Amino acid sequence: MRPETLDNINASARVEEDVLAALGRPGWRYLAGVGLCALLALMLFTLWGGLIFRGLGLSGKNHPVGWAMLITNFVFWVGIAHSGTLISAVLFLFRARFRTSFNRSAEAMTIFALMVAGLFPLIHLGRVWVFYYLLPYPSERLIWPNFRSPLVWDVFAVTTYLIVSLVFFYVGMIPDLAVARRRLPGVRGRIYGLLSLGWQGTLRQWRHYGRLYLFLAAFATPLVASVHSIVSWDFAVSIVPGWHTTIFAPYFVAGAIFSGTAMVITLTIPMRRWLRLEPYITVDHFEAIAKILLFTSLIITYTYLVEHGLSLYGGNPFERDQYLYRALGDYRPLFAVMVICNSLLPLTMFIRRLRRSLAWLFILGILVNIGMWLERFVIITASLARDYDPYAWGSYNFSVVEFGITIGSFGLFFLLFLLFARLLPVLAVTEIKQGAEERHEEAGMQGASERGSEAYP
Amino acid sequence: MASYYFDNREEFLERLRALVDGGAAPETIRIRMPYQVPEAEEILGGRPSPLRFFALFGGLAGFGGGLALTIYSVLSWPIIVGGKPIVSLPPFLLIGYLLTILCGSLGAFAGFLLLARLPSGAALAADAEFPERFVIIVEEEERP
Repeated sequence: MRPETLDNINASARVEEDVLAALGRPGWRYLAGVGLCALLALMLFTLWGGLIFRGLGLSGKNHPVGWAMLITNFVFWVGIAHSGTLISAVLFLFRARFRTSFNRSAEAMTIFALMVAGLFPLIHLGRVWVFYYLLPYPSERLIWPNFRSPLVWDVFAVTTYLIVSLVFFYVGMIPDLAVARRRLPGVRGRIYGLLSLGWQGTLRQWRHYGRLYLFLAAFATPLVASVHSIVSWDFAVSIVPGWHTTIFAPYFVAGAIFSGTAMVITLTIPMRRWLRLEPYITVDHFEAIAKILLFTSLIITYTYLVEHGLSLYGGNPFERDQYLYRALGDYRPLFAVMVICNSLLPLTMFIRRLRRSLAWLFILGILVNIGMWLERFVIITASLARDYDPYAWGSYNFSVVEFGITIGSFGLFFLLFLLFARLLPVLAVTEIKQGAEERHEEAGMQGASERGSEAYP
Repeated sequence: MASYYFDNREEFLERLRALVDGGAAPETIRIRMPYQVPEAEEILGGRPSPLRFFALFGGLAGFGGGLALTIYSVLSWPIIVGGKPIVSLPPFLLIGYLLTILCGSLGAFAGFLLLARLPSGAALAADAEFPERFVIIVEEEERP
């Protein structure tokens, strides 16, 4: 029997049923998953409480390595956020059809990753209750933030990114919430109705909606390039060897899209199976996403080569020694794993059979994210551990508290994603219907016919 | 008042075209669509969405506001940091750029709510449905 795909299922009602079936009563496996992730998230907040009450000495941070695992996590999670915007905004502008299978979960991933990322500078602050010093407000002390500092650019970049992503996510979901209102009875249906703002699909609504979606995509697209560039300038604007390089912005942006794409694969493969979304997220779609993974991996490999070439042939002894330390010094096992996971293993995506093997894609997605986490760790830690003055050299090893917070951040992220998968439509229902109808027409198929004229109730 | 229901986009558009060609005034035709169909907008005419002005003004306000905030803040306590000029335009442009995107997006969203008349209290109170099918409702023209 031919497998069901978007091209041959009877679109309209079936799409609604299938997608909204996920909003039904959850099974024990789901509840167990939520429970486990909630415990991990609780661990994060408990350990953070420990850091607040006992002090940052509980972390492994020291002189000279003052930015370590917590900032690694910040950069990692901001990076994870990026492919959500790439898939939802950039692929929308390029009219890539396979985007509708992934865009909702990728957008949700962006928001949750940013929420988790935003915690880390706050945890790193130590005295989190004065976080508002970062915001520009007219205080009685007449002190404003230093707008020449990349750390302040970061506050603006990440906040803007979170707000724009939230608006984009919500706007994309308004018609689908109205579908959920129609299909679900009782109080839940009413809640979806309120969230859909009374959407009815009139000409006026659709007309302005279409324009809004286009504008939001256009506004969000430059953010894909700019947010992680600004994060990279946290490092590149300083004069620390290994950080002070102009290649950092494109290097970080490519890495962000690479790791985010890997996370989309890691999340959607199990989600597709649990929620029985095989007709909507097909192996072809995964193959398309795997090509993005391969492409960004090649860019990453290229930037590794350029970065290392600049260090070795640039004529700057500090840069050269820093690079040799990174590759061959205390952190060499991490460096090796990073190169294997980010540059070598993704080359398997050149083989079509592996590109279409969901089991391998799932494993590769996890390995790539391990590699990308290690990349940030090696960049941040190794550079601080060995800068100019041998008298100030040191090394860093993370503490149990930092490790627990890192694991907890994954728990929090997966908890938010699991809740999303049961509470909101995980696929863009109206967009899938539109795409399916257009495909039917292109294929010259004739759909159902007019039911006839009847009195409007 | 006559109503028509369609499962199929092409047939919906055909009927809509026939109604307009047959002399029905576009303002007497109300439609509901389960997803966006740009051709319906073309058939029924109407001015292009003025949403772009909201995005434009939001973006300009964000850019101007970003530059004003940064320049005002350094001039209100002019102290040289790291040998850089008091008004350091390159980093300030970055703040302006980010606020352009933020305010442009929020402006467009606010404009959408205003123009599409959402949230619609009447629709929520009447529990009006977002239909699964295409609907055309032709109201009879009022005769003077």
